Amino acid sequence: MFLRWMKKLVRNPILLFFSLFQPIIFLLLFTQLFSSFGVLLGVNYTLFATAGIVLQNAFSSAFQSGTAIVDDIKSGFLAKILATPASRASILLGRLLSDAFRVFAQSLIILVLAYGLGVFPATGILGYILILVTVAFFGLAWSGISLALGLRTKSAETVFGIAGTLTFPLLFMSTALMKPELMPTWMQNVSAYNPISFAVNAIRDLIMTGYVWNSFSQAYGVISLIAVLTLGATLYEFRKVVS
Amino acid sequence: MPAVQVENLVKTYGDGTQAVKGISFKVDEGEFFGFLGPNGAGKSTTIKILTTLLRKTSGLANVAGHDIEHDPQKVRKLIGVQMQDTVIDEDLTGRENLILQGHLHQMHGQELKERVNTLLKIVDLEDASDKRSAYYSGGMKKRLDLASTLVHRPKILFLDEPTTGLDPQSRATVWSYLKELNQEGITIFITTQYLEEVDRLCRRLAILDHGEIVAQGSPSEMKSEIGADRITLGFENGNPEAGALKDKAKQVLGNLGGITEVVDSDEGIVIYAKNGGFLVPDIVRAFDGAGIKLASIGVSSPTLDDVFLKHTGRRIRPEEIDKSRASGMFGRRRR
Repeated sequence: MFLRWMKKLVRNPILLFFSLFQPIIFLLLFTQLFSSFGVLLGVNYTLFATAGIVLQNAFSSAFQSGTAIVDDIKSGFLAKILATPASRASILLGRLLSDAFRVFAQSLIILVLAYGLGVFPATGILGYILILVTVAFFGLAWSGISLALGLRTKSAETVFGIAGTLTFPLLFMSTALMKPELMPTWMQNVSAYNPISFAVNAIRDLIMTGYVWNSFSQAYGVISLIAVLTLGATLYEFRKVVS
Repeated sequence: MPAVQVENLVKTYGDGTQAVKGISFKVDEGEFFGFLGPNGAGKSTTIKILTTLLRKTSGLANVAGHDIEHDPQKVRKLIGVQMQDTVIDEDLTGRENLILQGHLHQMHGQELKERVNTLLKIVDLEDASDKRSAYYSGGMKKRLDLASTLVHRPKILFLDEPTTGLDPQSRATVWSYLKELNQEGITIFITTQYLEEVDRLCRRLAILDHGEIVAQGSPSEMKSEIGADRITLGFENGNPEAGALKDKAKQVLGNLGGITEVVDSDEGIVIYAKNGGFLVPDIVRAFDGAGIKLASIGVSSPTLDDVFLKHTGRRIRPEEIDKSRASGMFGRRRR
């Protein structure tokens, strides 16, 4: 199943390209447009924003998972698979792993481009690996939400709609593109509990500071929690579809 | 041991609709079994239950000797399922589709490779096997779909309208594959709208209507049950008084003996009568006397179409139902 999704991905280069298009635009334009923020924040903004952009990509990419499963339900492909003795878990796992892998590959491309703009993590090569693994894990956790939504609503439009509505508020009300000190107080509060912030902080530390055990463990705690919740929901919805 | 055994199977959906209302039937091993019914009769629901895709509400169902609820995995290993819509992954090539299906059945390596090659040869897709299936024609996709249900050498094949939407040539090809498969010993359980093929290939069939089995038996048994020949009367085309003419004709027919039933049809009137051939001179004479001109008259022994019509009150093809409904509306407006 994992192989199937990977092959589909490679066979649809246009989709792959466009899903990368947005983060690349972000990377090239945002960092230029807001470079004076850097002065305000007292940092190099390109360095600062890379973490946010990598995560934004993981976030929106993960939401495609739900639309793919809707396609499979509608076309009857899921039913066809379910009529085989393939284990139910491997059907979901194949999809989730391929999502994680895709986010991994996309993030790598973004990081390479960012390197061209002078972004090199303070933690070096090992930092790169840690960043990619963290982002992939983050993508996996969120694709669970989208899968659960897809299974529940059986409508690609709904999944897209919810994804679109969620992405920007969650992104802007996080530390992805801005330091909390410069946000209004209420937004600081939201941002402090925003799961994206935790992941962003961990990755940003890896890029800008070095190994910060605190932010790293917090991020993994939060992502694990999300993963458990979303995968639980996915499993629950999947059982309902199957029966 | 029967291939499929169903007793008092009931399926009630969450919203209270009873799709299947306690049906019982048996399919023997190696049988070619037709499962017919109008749209919405509960055919697809029954197939989904038997293929472990849907949970039954109550009753018993055994497939390939295993209870579908207690041993779904064992059932899945022994069945092949083809859905109503063609289900293949169009981003993958024909070969990759078959290999994927093999993996899902825990087949690997050389064994799978050889099996896939054999199947590609059987369904005549060798040349196109490494092309993306998105570029296949409708008939090729259907053949690939059929091949993908055979990768793991199933004992029983469930087919939900495998030839609907295909051109006559592709349809004939699919049916001939099915015939060969059946001759190799695979039990075939099929729903279809093509009664001529059912008549030719199915050893037995069941007709489902409103979630209940209204008739079952062999095609010849069912046809002889009708107990009457069919006489088709056609009137001149484009006659503005066709409606009046029909009414008059029916009146005349009412005075004749030996007629079982008179039914309106698109072309004119259909009469069911025992020994129809002997009745023809009487009809012609009576119509002559009444001054009714006939364009055509034909006698045929009953077909499965008649069997279906008798048990469900409907014809099997949806387009035919639509046609008769449209002409009915037109007639009313004229009056």
